[in-house]
Amino acid sequence: MPPATRTPPRIDLLDPREAAGLGGIELLTEGVVEGFLAGLHRSPRRGFSVEFAEHRSYQPGDELRYVDWKLLGRKDRLYVKQYEEETNLRAMLVLDASRSMAWTGDPTRTLPKLAYAQRLAAAIGLILLRQRDATGLIAFDDAVRSVLPARARSAQWHQLLAHLVGVVPGHGTAAEPALRRVIDLLRRRGLVIFISDLLLERDLALRALKFLQHRGHQVIVLHVMDPAELDLGGPAEARFEDPETGASVTLRPKDWAGAYRETVAGVVSAWRRSCRGSGMQYHQLTTDTPFGLALRRVLARPSGLA
Amino acid sequence: MAFLQPWVLLGLPLAGLPLLLHLIQRREPPTLEFPAVRYLVQVTQEHQRRLRLRHLLLLLVRTVLVLALVLAAAGPSAALREAASHAPSALAVLLDNSPSSGVIVDGTSRLDELRLAARRILARSTPADALWLVGSDGLARRGSASELGRAVDSLEVAPRRLDLGQAVQLAADVVATDHRPGAIVLLSDLQATALSPAAVHTPLLVARPASTAPRNLGVGQVRPSAAPWTPSGGQVIVAVEGDSGPPAPVTVTLADRPGRQALIPAGGATSFTLDGTAPGWWTVRATKAPDELRMDDERVSLVRVAPVARVQWNAQDRYLDAALGVLEADGRLRRGSDLTVGTLGSGSSVVLPPADPAQLGALNRALERRDIGWRYGALMATPTMTDSGPLVGREPVARRYLLEPRRASATTGILATVGQQPWLVRSGDVVLLGSRLEPEWTGFPLQAGFLPFMDAVVNRLARGELALQNAAPGDPVLVPDLVTAVAQADRRWTVEGGAAFRAPSPGVYFLLAGRDTVGGISVNVDPRESHLSPATDAQVTNLWPGSRVVNLEDAAAAAFAGAGRASLQAPLLWLALVLGLVELLLASGLRQGP
Repeated sequence: MPPATRTPPRIDLLDPREAAGLGGIELLTEGVVEGFLAGLHRSPRRGFSVEFAEHRSYQPGDELRYVDWKLLGRKDRLYVKQYEEETNLRAMLVLDASRSMAWTGDPTRTLPKLAYAQRLAAAIGLILLRQRDATGLIAFDDAVRSVLPARARSAQWHQLLAHLVGVVPGHGTAAEPALRRVIDLLRRRGLVIFISDLLLERDLALRALKFLQHRGHQVIVLHVMDPAELDLGGPAEARFEDPETGASVTLRPKDWAGAYRETVAGVVSAWRRSCRGSGMQYHQLTTDTPFGLALRRVLARPSGLA
Repeated sequence: MAFLQPWVLLGLPLAGLPLLLHLIQRREPPTLEFPAVRYLVQVTQEHQRRLRLRHLLLLLVRTVLVLALVLAAAGPSAALREAASHAPSALAVLLDNSPSSGVIVDGTSRLDELRLAARRILARSTPADALWLVGSDGLARRGSASELGRAVDSLEVAPRRLDLGQAVQLAADVVATDHRPGAIVLLSDLQATALSPAAVHTPLLVARPASTAPRNLGVGQVRPSAAPWTPSGGQVIVAVEGDSGPPAPVTVTLADRPGRQALIPAGGATSFTLDGTAPGWWTVRATKAPDELRMDDERVSLVRVAPVARVQWNAQDRYLDAALGVLEADGRLRRGSDLTVGTLGSGSSVVLPPADPAQLGALNRALERRDIGWRYGALMATPTMTDSGPLVGREPVARRYLLEPRRASATTGILATVGQQPWLVRSGDVVLLGSRLEPEWTGFPLQAGFLPFMDAVVNRLARGELALQNAAPGDPVLVPDLVTAVAQADRRWTVEGGAAFRAPSPGVYFLLAGRDTVGGISVNVDPRESHLSPATDAQVTNLWPGSRVVNLEDAAAAAFAGAGRASLQAPLLWLALVLGLVELLLASGLRQGP
């Protein structure tokens, strides 16, 4: 009987808080992406058109139909063919770095929303860059704080990481300037991934997102929430204070838990309805969702990251 | 509105407890950072008004719930609207015809006023009512209004005192036997001395005369000195009881001899020295000048006049010799051979057990030869006490011989007992004592009561005289074993020794054993009846919580108001139950959220 082999844990399926403790954001992201791609059994990369652009080395997960068998015969190495359309995809990660994103309901169990969003953005960026998609980053709070134009260069990954690590929680939230900046940076049709807790002016943000969609960009909205924001808890009576605006409400959580849950569900439902009604993708994620599962939800859509 | 337990209303401030808790809970709560406050604002804007209303409603419900519970515990009742008829009810009319009801006020006796009020009450009853009439004899007579009306007319001033607390309790027990709502009406002059506590949960109406009671004095006590008196005479102490006032002239007479007079104030006492008379049983009579209450103006007592006993005893019996020596010096006995004390003599004897147990058999044989019904039995060396009785109180007994009846059926003549076993017995002209009169046997010779005991033994018991007792009319008096009949003038009651005899009226009663007079009972009105001062309304309501006090004239109108009063306890408890359910619903609704 062969000795039992022990399979190393897949980082992409670990609890985000636990996974974040394994290493830095770069190591974590690569582990998450590797695990995610291995579990997917097929490459998420799409958009191979008929107009050949270049060869690149075969990577696990690439579909065999794109392998250049002739080149294999000549060089005895596996290459896949890439086409012009795919290499032209330009993606922009728009990350909310407002003060509300720095919050966690239970530091011992969940990552702050911003830390979770940083790692999720890094994972998405790595997948895009591996597809040779030009990927950039915009971080914002009540103004644009950090901008990394979209590039497909090999050094872009480290640039992206450096920008993500440099993102610190800011002040209030105003998404419109950041989204306007996206229009300046993405002159051709591209992909906009908007990562935020959506604690902002909904109508203004939606209008800007719809404008992007109208300009031909594909928009994906990732709504990051802490589990404690879904279910109201706390002491018998408490004064709840908004860290961004300073607004406060005093109430007894157990008296309001049910109504609050319904209200949050209504907000999520309204965002989903508005986004999908405008052709945008909307995903609600909680910070205790493993990164692999979050990526699967985002990438499993028919339009995926294409 | 009236309350059975008004003191419970002290708990009414508890109704403020929910409000207090509400205010305490409104202290500054901790501040929590929470980004999604905008959602909370949205929620509270939608539901705040409804939730606040629900909180206020909950506060109100809890406050009213506490109020309802406290009020229900206080036993509230409210008068229904006046109506010509009333609901069927069980009514006990207590008519206080005790001696004090015989007082004359403005030419009318109190009893007549009470009778009139009783008749008016009965006239307002309906055939659906259950009616009882209770007098000072303690009998609860049940009947129709007409039957009880006749009973009221036949009631006279009774010589027996009525304890109003006991009477009210009796009436409550009586009406409790009926399923109809019960009520008690007490018609009384409401003497303060007649009141006693009673735990009554039946509505009680107390009706008393509006006019003030006159000041009264009565002869409260006639106490002759130790019997028997010698033919040279004796002393009588006479006390006067009653309300304050000028001293009353009191005349004391013995038999038909001219009386002695003295002025005695209320609460005071005077000693009268009376000349002797021929041997026999004589009545001492103390009489004061007549006033509005006649029944307490005279008091009697019984005196036995006889020559002192002629006694012989053994001077070697140290304690016996000392006691009899004192009595001799005091003129209560003389040396002679009529009575032998200590040993069994040829005539009347008071026998003590011999110091040498070896002589006990000879003594028992001598007693048998004299046909004495008792003999000495086994020696008991367990320290104990005598049983308290009229002759001997509680005295220590260390050693004693059992006194055994010679025939199993012949157990009469027991004068004192130890542990319910005979200790002092009499048979014929012989008195037997179970212990020697020495400290090694009994501590009695060292006690103050020893001399009166020896006086009674040699002057009364050895002569066959048993007891002189005092009692009030109707009180049970235990007659001694040997007594076979009780006689008063030409009246005679056959009694069984050891049973109770109740003298029907004041006077002297003779205890007869066959043809011999062996004792007497002096029966007089209870001296507390001389105090006519009435109790205040506050005293009445304090003693009988929930009672109402009205004038006799208003008694008839108020008598059936109890039947027209509705207890609010049940409605309040139902209200509390409903409020409790509402509170449960509101509180659980709050827990589930707005």
